[in-house]
Amino acid sequence: MTAFNAADHANSKSNVPSWRASQMDSALEIFETLDEPTGFEEDWRYVDYDLPFAELAQIEDPGEPLSDGPFLASLTNNSGRVLIVDGQVLEVGSSSASISTLRDLESDEREFSVVAVDHNKLAAAHGAFANDAVFVDVVPNQVMDAPLVIEVQGVTPGTASFPHISVAVGENAEAQVLVVYRSADGAELLMVPEIDLQVVDGGRLRFMSVQSLDHAATNVVHQRMTLGRDATGRLGEVGLGAKLGRLDLGVSLEGDGASSELVGLYFGEGSQTLDYRILINHSGRNTSSDVFLKGAVEDDAQSVFTGLLRIEKDARRTSTFETNRNLVLSENGKAHSVPNLEILCDDVICGHASSVGPLQDDDLYYLQSRGLSRERAERLLIKGFFQEVIDRLPITGLEAPVSEAVFRRFVQAQSEGRVA
Amino acid sequence: MSTALLVSDLSVAVENKQILDGFSLEVPFGEIHAIMGPNGSGKSTFCHVLTGKSGYQVRGSASLAGDDLLSLDVDERARLGLLQSFQYPTQVAGVRLREFMMEAAEEMGLDADEAATRIEAESERFGMRPFLERSVNGDLSGGEKKRSEIFQMAVLRPKVALLDEVDSGLDIDAVKQVSEAVEEMRSPELGVVMITHYSRILRYLSPDRIHVMIDGRIVDRGGSELAEELESGGYKGLRKRLGIEKVVDDGPMRKPADFFTETPFDV
Repeated sequence: MTAFNAADHANSKSNVPSWRASQMDSALEIFETLDEPTGFEEDWRYVDYDLPFAELAQIEDPGEPLSDGPFLASLTNNSGRVLIVDGQVLEVGSSSASISTLRDLESDEREFSVVAVDHNKLAAAHGAFANDAVFVDVVPNQVMDAPLVIEVQGVTPGTASFPHISVAVGENAEAQVLVVYRSADGAELLMVPEIDLQVVDGGRLRFMSVQSLDHAATNVVHQRMTLGRDATGRLGEVGLGAKLGRLDLGVSLEGDGASSELVGLYFGEGSQTLDYRILINHSGRNTSSDVFLKGAVEDDAQSVFTGLLRIEKDARRTSTFETNRNLVLSENGKAHSVPNLEILCDDVICGHASSVGPLQDDDLYYLQSRGLSRERAERLLIKGFFQEVIDRLPITGLEAPVSEAVFRRFVQAQSEGRVA
Repeated sequence: MSTALLVSDLSVAVENKQILDGFSLEVPFGEIHAIMGPNGSGKSTFCHVLTGKSGYQVRGSASLAGDDLLSLDVDERARLGLLQSFQYPTQVAGVRLREFMMEAAEEMGLDADEAATRIEAESERFGMRPFLERSVNGDLSGGEKKRSEIFQMAVLRPKVALLDEVDSGLDIDAVKQVSEAVEEMRSPELGVVMITHYSRILRYLSPDRIHVMIDGRIVDRGGSELAEELESGGYKGLRKRLGIEKVVDDGPMRKPADFFTETPFDV
């Protein structure tokens, strides 16, 4: 077994460009000084993290890719496909973007980590051990008329992997990227992806991820998007899988006139924890953003939404809003919703809305008064609840499988009497 | 003619406060009956109790075409043929009107083709076509919501229709349109109970019988002359003629400390 320590670090560096190797060396020093989250840290306070690197092995050779899953079957059109298994890039193909892997960039030094290496132990691990990556470059004025599909799979039990995806959208270019996370049935493993989205002046990016890992896997994603002048970024985040699924997402609206939209849905069952930690930072002028996340929990599952809208001092005429709605469908399900605003500028429009609760009696009464059984009324309300998000997903073609996945989850719980 | 709705000696309390007191009503198939009464007389409570909303203590009986209603759940009553047009229809986020009606029609035993045909025809007739793919009652004006309620009835074709203040919040043209729709629904397979506190809507449709409700009981019944009396003299005049004292309900005696937990001024 190749461990996560200094002695075995050389293994992970064997095949990377020298600039990356030296980044990994300095990240290792930080990795060794940090501890795993304990739950006492403010940003991990609702999360029970119990997966020390001491018990995990590095990937030596990637495992066998998984057979096709349900989400991509309905996607009729794509402009390319990338396959990452256990953090290693196995397949690359695109008709409309230029894609490089780490090994292609021997003399082309890039910034790598999307968050500070000392952000937490997991980010440091990514900095120290991520030894493959895809870099998607969409040249100025290029238009992708179908999404680039990136499949990210974790298959080898007992390992930690570090998928790394970087997307750079050039001036006035238009890009679509879909990431689907999956893992092998019953495989206990850790996945720590980093997603770096850079959209320069006038660029437009539609990015969507579907996290559908097996419930034995843990997934901690660090994702950042930076928007230049008049750039637009639309994000869609679907969270269904993992024992612990955390999305640490930051959007930085730096250019004047930039705008972003984040829509998402999550549905936790069993003892899942689905954890969203969102920061939208406005520093350009005339920027706008909207966050719209809806989630449900049943059984003993819990969800966390912490969303900070931050408006910097000179970010005049910012317009921003965040909404987080939660359905708690069982006695032991828990949803934490913590929207926050930090406004340092006085010429802004900004607000938030948040709710946590069961299905509304008034809604059920109304639907039942038209002859719908209680069960059917509940199902229709669940479908409607998520439909508002599904209608706004940035990439088209996945509405049906996403809708089916959440609906099936509820119907099964309902038929087994697990929801109130 | 057989009886669509029969309500006998219905008494209803909420948290031990009596709302309806020995309320009786018989509506034959083919007829439209109006229940008129001032605000707070218990009209909406009557509708909700019949529809099956929880939270009421109910005594007495109510039946639809001979089948007992009060022992059934809300949806069972609807499937039996009872449908209420709500005074304040609930906005149901994300649930599309067409899908909702398709599901309801299926529960009512309609096959999908027939349901789809009715939805098409009735949405055209009531101008609801633009709203079929939108959330039920989402962002609708007061008048549009009432129109949606009538549209739903036209699709589901109940045996007894309870129209709770279907005229409130409507401008005069909308009142006319809704009244015409109700008159058009008139059929030997339907009994209609229309609740209102204005006689305005009665200018556009002619109920077979008017029942006046005050303080939770029917105090007078009659034809159109009753509406005319109310139009000119109001409920005050009617109370005077019938010798009904206005009950001033001070509620239970309160301890001085109670006054500090509430707004001290009764506005």
